[in-house]
Amino acid sequence: MRSPDTLDTDILVIGAGGAGLFAALHALQANPDLKVSIAVKGLLGKCGCTRMVQGGYNVALSPGDSVERHFMDTIIGGKWLPHQDMAWRLVETAVTRVRELENELGCFFDRNADGSLHHKAFAGQTFDRTVHKGDLTGIEIINRLMEQVRGLPVNRLEEHRVLGLLPARDGGGIAGALMTDMRSGEFRVVRARAILMGTGGGPTMYRYHTPSGDKSMDGLAMALRLGLPLRDMEMVQFHPTGLLAGPDTRMTGTVLEEGLRGAGGHLLNGAGERFMANYDAAGERATRDIVSRAIYAEMREGRTTPLGGVYIAMAHLGPEVVAKKFPGMVRRCADCGFDLAAGRVEVVPTAHYLMGGVICDRDTRTDLHGLYVAGEDAGGMHGANRLGGNGVANSTVFGGIAGETMAADIAGRRGALADPDPAALEGELDRAMAPLGRQGGDVHAIRDGLMDAMWDHVGILRSREGLEQGIARLGELRTALDASGIGGQDLRFNLSWHDWLNLDNLVTISEVICRAALSREDSRGAHFREDFPETGELETSAFTVVQRKNDALHVTQSPVEFSIVRPGESLLPAEAAASVAR
Amino acid sequence: MSDGIDNAAATDTLDVRVWRGDERGGDWHAYRVPAAANQTVLDVVTWIQRHREPNLAYRFACRVGVCGSCAMSVNGEPRWTCRTHVQDAARDGVLRIGPLRNLPLVRDLACDMAPFFDRWQEAGGRFVPSSDRHADIAAISPESPARRIADAAIQCINCAVCYAACDVVQWKPDYLGPAALNRAWSLVNDERDAGNKDRLRAVAGDAGCHNCHSQHNCTRYCPNQLDPGASIAGLKRTTMKAALKGQL
Repeated sequence: MRSPDTLDTDILVIGAGGAGLFAALHALQANPDLKVSIAVKGLLGKCGCTRMVQGGYNVALSPGDSVERHFMDTIIGGKWLPHQDMAWRLVETAVTRVRELENELGCFFDRNADGSLHHKAFAGQTFDRTVHKGDLTGIEIINRLMEQVRGLPVNRLEEHRVLGLLPARDGGGIAGALMTDMRSGEFRVVRARAILMGTGGGPTMYRYHTPSGDKSMDGLAMALRLGLPLRDMEMVQFHPTGLLAGPDTRMTGTVLEEGLRGAGGHLLNGAGERFMANYDAAGERATRDIVSRAIYAEMREGRTTPLGGVYIAMAHLGPEVVAKKFPGMVRRCADCGFDLAAGRVEVVPTAHYLMGGVICDRDTRTDLHGLYVAGEDAGGMHGANRLGGNGVANSTVFGGIAGETMAADIAGRRGALADPDPAALEGELDRAMAPLGRQGGDVHAIRDGLMDAMWDHVGILRSREGLEQGIARLGELRTALDASGIGGQDLRFNLSWHDWLNLDNLVTISEVICRAALSREDSRGAHFREDFPETGELETSAFTVVQRKNDALHVTQSPVEFSIVRPGESLLPAEAAASVAR
Repeated sequence: MSDGIDNAAATDTLDVRVWRGDERGGDWHAYRVPAAANQTVLDVVTWIQRHREPNLAYRFACRVGVCGSCAMSVNGEPRWTCRTHVQDAARDGVLRIGPLRNLPLVRDLACDMAPFFDRWQEAGGRFVPSSDRHADIAAISPESPARRIADAAIQCINCAVCYAACDVVQWKPDYLGPAALNRAWSLVNDERDAGNKDRLRAVAGDAGCHNCHSQHNCTRYCPNQLDPGASIAGLKRTTMKAALKGQL
C-alpha cells in the first residue's frame, strides 16, 4: 500500500451535526482567513443525530423563566452529577444560540398566535421552555445550518471516516488525523493546528437503539486510545417507546415520541393489560427512566407481545384525534405497516443517548493540547440524566464555543504544522486494515452478540453479577472480532469494512460502559443497580472516570465540585428545600 | 454466486434485482431475499450486503425518513427506501432497485449528491439575515399569509427524490430543480430574509423556474407530501411581476 496523501488545514472538524457545523461557522466568523476542513462519515448535515431531534431546544427565553431555573432543572435532572460550570455555560449560551438560529440562520420555530415564540412543556422541567418546530425540530436546525456552511469556503471531506487521531511526534499535543475517503478507499492524513471531535455518541451497541445507523462511538474510542479520560460512561439513557418490528429490520428501535404517552396513550403488556400503575402513580406519564424500567420488568416476567415487547395503544382517544395530533408518527407507522391511530403498535425501550463523554473544560478543550470536543462526545453537562431538549442545545452551544475557542487559541500560530507520530500512524493503519487480509468469522453474528450482551447484562436494570457476565461476554466478542475478516481487499465504498470498524469501536466503548457501571454502586438517573437501588449521599456525589493505561482500563471516582450550588441549596431561593427532594 | 440466486423456496422469498456498477457501466443482478412481515426496501438492500454482496455500495443514515440519504429508484420510481414497505413497492413479486437518476453515480446504489446541493446554493437557498443574535426574535403571526406559504414549503429533507423525478433536470442538467426552487420560494415568503433581490434574479435566470414544464412529478413523488410544483408556480408569478416592474 502506498503511503497516505497528506492534506493541511488550520482547523479540522470531525463530524457535521450541530456541533461540527456550528464550530466551522463560528471559527470562520472569528477569522475568515482560516482554512477549515470538515470530515464527516456521511454527507454534510445529513447523517448523525441532530437532524433526528424531535422534541426541541430548551432555552430560558419566556417571561417568568430564567437561566437560573433552567440551570437548576439541569442539575436536579442530572442527579447532582453534572459539571456545574459546563451546565451553566450551556443554559446561559442557549439564549444567544437560539436567537442566532432564528435571526442569523433563518430557523423558524413554532409561534403562539400573537407571534411570540412557543415554548412547550417537556418532562423534568419546572417551566415550559422547549422551543420547537412541530415534532421535527432537528430537520429545521440542521437544514438551516447546512445551507449556511455549504455556502462558506470550507473544505468538505464528505464520506471521509476518521480512523484515528494522531499525536505529534514531539509529544506537544495533537498533530492530525488519519482518515479514509470512503468512496475511493484511499487513506489520507490531515494535519491541523486544532481539531474538534464532534462525531456524536449514540449507544448503538444495544439490541434496541434510536441513533442514526452511522453512529458507532468513533470519537470516544479514538479519545480512549489516546489515553484521554472519559466520565459518566455508565449513564446510558433509554427511551421507553421504540418501535419493535422484528430482528431483521432497521425500523426496530426507532423512537415513537414521548408525546404519545403524555397525550394519554396506554401501555399494555402481552396480555393486553395496563401495567404502569403497578410501578408508578403517574402511570404512563412517569419519566423516561421509570417507564423504561417498568417495561423491562414486564418483559423479564415474560408478559410480552409476539415480538417480545409491550403495546402502545392510542385508539381509545379516537383514531381521528390521534391522526390529527400526531400526523408524523401515524404516517411513519403506516409507511412501515402499523396502525398507530386505531390499532396497537409493539414497542420496547430503546437506547437513546450517552450522557458520558470526554472530559473537557468549559471552553471545550481536552487534556491534549490542540484537541477539542463538543456535542455527545463531550461529557459532564448532563450528569446522570439528560433533560429532553438539552441535547441539541448542548451540541449547538458547545460547537459554537469550540469554533470561537479554536480560532482564538491558534491565532498567531503560523509556523509549520506538527508532524504526526509515525508509530501512532502505523498503529492506526494496522488496526484499520487488520480485517482485510483475514477470512472467516461473521461480523454480523458478532454484532448481534454484542447487542444481546449489552441489552441483557448492561442495560436498564443492572447488577454486579450481570455486569460481570457482560464483561466476560465482551471479552469473547473481542477475541472473535480480532479473528474475523471481511473477505476482500476492495475498499471502495465497502460498507462491510465499515461495519467491522464500527463494531471495533462499539466493543471498545461497551467495555468502558460496563466497567463504569460496575464501579458505580448506587442508582441515579439512567443508571439503576438492582443490588444498590439507593441514590446514595448527594453531598459526597462522585462521577466515574475511565482511562486506558498500558492497554488496560482504569476506573476511578472523582468528587463532584459543587462550584455553583450544593445539594440543599438552590439559585431559586424559594425552592432550596425542594432541590433535594425532586 | 455469479447470478446470486439461491435455491430457497420462492414463496418465502422476494425476487430482487439490484443494479451494480459505476459511471462506466453496470448491469442488473438477481437475488432471492427472505421475505418478512415487517420489511422495507432498505432492509432488503441491507440483507443483500450482509449475506450476499459485502461490498454493495448504498447510503443510509437515520432509518426514519428525516435524513434523506437513502433514496433510490425502486421499480422505476424514486423513493426513500427506509420508509417504503416492500409490499407497497413490489410489482408482480419483483423489486428492481437502482440508483437515483439525474445524479452522478459513485457506485451501485450510491449517487453523488453534490450537484443537488450546488443548485440549492445557486438558487439562493440560504437565509440572508436582517437581524442578529443580539436582537430579540421577531414576532411573526403563524397565520400571516406569507408565513403560511413559507411554512408549507419548509419541511424538505433534501432527499433528491424530486430532483430524480424531474424530466427537466434530465434534459437540462444545470436547471436548478424542484427542491432548490422550493427552498427559494419559502425564503421569498420569509419576512425576516434580506436576500430576495439576488434570489429572484437567480431563480428567474436561464437555469431557473421558467424551465419548469409543470408536469409536477416533483409533487407526485415527494415523500413528505410537499408541493414543489406549486412553489415553482409561485416563483414564476413573482419573477414575472418583478420583471414587469423592472426589479430584476
